[in-house]
Amino acid sequence: MVDVEIKRDRVIIRYKGKKWDWILEPRYWRNTLIWTAFLILFPLVAYFVSPILLNTLISANLYAAIAIPLALMTVGTGRMNFGPNFFIGVGGYTAALLSIAYGWGPLATLPFAVIASLISALLFSPLVIVARGLYYVLLTLLLPLVFLEITFIYTDLFKGDVGLAGIQTLVNTGSVKINFLLSAFISMLLMLVYLWVVNKVLKSRYGLIMAAINDGEEVAHGIGVNINKVKILAFVFASGMIGVIGWFYAHYFGTFAGITYLPLNFMIKILLVIFIGGRAQVFGCVVGGYFIAFLEMILIVTMGPIQPVVFAIILTVLLFALPEGLFGLYRKRRYREYLPTLHVRR
Amino acid sequence: MWETLEVVLIYSFILGSIYLLISLGFSIICGVLRIFHLGYAYLFTLTVYLTWMFMKEFGFGLVPALLAMVVVQFLISYIIYKGIIMKYVAREEIILTGLLLVSTIVEQAVNYRYPIQAGVFIQTTLIEGASEFGTVVISNQLLVGAAVALLLTALFILFFLKTRIGLAIRALSQDIYSSRLIGIHVEALYTLTMFLILIPVILGTLIVAPIWAVDPTMGSLYMTTAILVAILGGLGNIRGTIIASYLIGFTHAFVSFVLGEPRFMNFSALLLVIIILMVRPQGIAKSEALW
Repeated sequence: MVDVEIKRDRVIIRYKGKKWDWILEPRYWRNTLIWTAFLILFPLVAYFVSPILLNTLISANLYAAIAIPLALMTVGTGRMNFGPNFFIGVGGYTAALLSIAYGWGPLATLPFAVIASLISALLFSPLVIVARGLYYVLLTLLLPLVFLEITFIYTDLFKGDVGLAGIQTLVNTGSVKINFLLSAFISMLLMLVYLWVVNKVLKSRYGLIMAAINDGEEVAHGIGVNINKVKILAFVFASGMIGVIGWFYAHYFGTFAGITYLPLNFMIKILLVIFIGGRAQVFGCVVGGYFIAFLEMILIVTMGPIQPVVFAIILTVLLFALPEGLFGLYRKRRYREYLPTLHVRR
Repeated sequence: MWETLEVVLIYSFILGSIYLLISLGFSIICGVLRIFHLGYAYLFTLTVYLTWMFMKEFGFGLVPALLAMVVVQFLISYIIYKGIIMKYVAREEIILTGLLLVSTIVEQAVNYRYPIQAGVFIQTTLIEGASEFGTVVISNQLLVGAAVALLLTALFILFFLKTRIGLAIRALSQDIYSSRLIGIHVEALYTLTMFLILIPVILGTLIVAPIWAVDPTMGSLYMTTAILVAILGGLGNIRGTIIASYLIGFTHAFVSFVLGEPRFMNFSALLLVIIILMVRPQGIAKSEALW
């Protein structure tokens, strides 16, 4: 029998000896709700003001949606993955190839993109056990580069030089502008769901276990944590989430080229979303994603061909000037440092 | 059969030597400073494009332009060491990302000023023509490169093994705190190492510049080779670096001349590294010592 008890600041649900709390206290969710409402209104405003903004907004949501699971992966494995874009490639190519070969739409390709990402993550998951520190960084850095090489070697299949075209689009209403608007909402929904899920996971007892692994694997093992299981789960789960973004890219643009997502340049952007946003803090990833996407767009519009130089200089300055990231400016207290340290020696 | 073997062996030696020249600096910095210099790519790009800039924009001759380039490279290395590496030595993720960004800035700035259409070319050929070894014809410039690589590596080994400064650097590579305790000036030796690694990079780039492609992204390609060699060699061990360079040289030669698929060159090297790392996660040699 489900027992629901409503108190002044919380709703308590009890079922078969288990208890769930839902806190109603406004100070816990007021700011989150305000920002979510602001984010949801943004595409509508952009739709009427400037449709170019919608494209930037989608990029921002996707950067954040890649960085959020990456933050979970970083905390859960106690390692810095320098090649998350590998799973974008896996998800994107799976969706693109299936859509082109069988004419499947986005809903049909989604489960396959997720499964392909999960399987590839499971295949490479021993890395989180055998390699640590800088070795892990280097091996993960190599993964997308190997994949990029493969796309060029098997160019008949992957069209590594020009990219795959003819993928079914994410939404097709007949109006390009409305397509953009709907895509913006889907990308935002994806990002918000990721934010909610990862935040919940990190605040649960699994989050605590991950933090323990992050602090010291031996200590965590000593207190009875199955560290290998938690690390593999965090790696595979987060990789599946990143693979979905590849699926989104493929169906959103209708084309997919590994050369766009697999090289170091794209990976640096994602790392900077994490660092400039707020050092592997999930809410910081949203701030970082929006900041980097909009900065890039503003510089493209105002600077012209010198934009890549100025963009990189600004990001370098911010990387060193903001030790706690942009989100650190908002938070009053210094938060717990979750970024694992990388040492050359194992 | 014999002809193929001859080609593979000769090219393994030549390519391996050039790769050694390209990756020696990277391995040394990895072994001494215990950081992964992800900004290494900019050193190659700056070597060519600074020389070109001094020649074209300031009207310098080749030798004065080279000297000016070396001075600027030393200055930039010093600034990067003081501004990034020394300051954030305990925050590896910041160093790695920061150095990658520095490399990106240089690459993009060079691409903005001198795009590939600019036709940048520096005439640093030391010996024109080619030599024949049986059925194999090799450019003399590549032979010079191989000789320089071997000579320079031998000099570096002698420096690290036979001199007091080399001994201090080896001590430093093993333990910073103990080194400080016995009076080693850590910062001065780190700065010296940053300068030392410029020698193989600059020489290597100047030797291959007249015969291999020169473009603003050339550094990334060389850095990928250096990363592979360093990982395979055991992150900072010179002995491991030498073996790894020739192993990768052999892989490239084998794939190109036996399998007849030069496009598989990089992929095969990556595969080799991953396979060896699965068997020996620490690489060919342990990175506990510089030699």
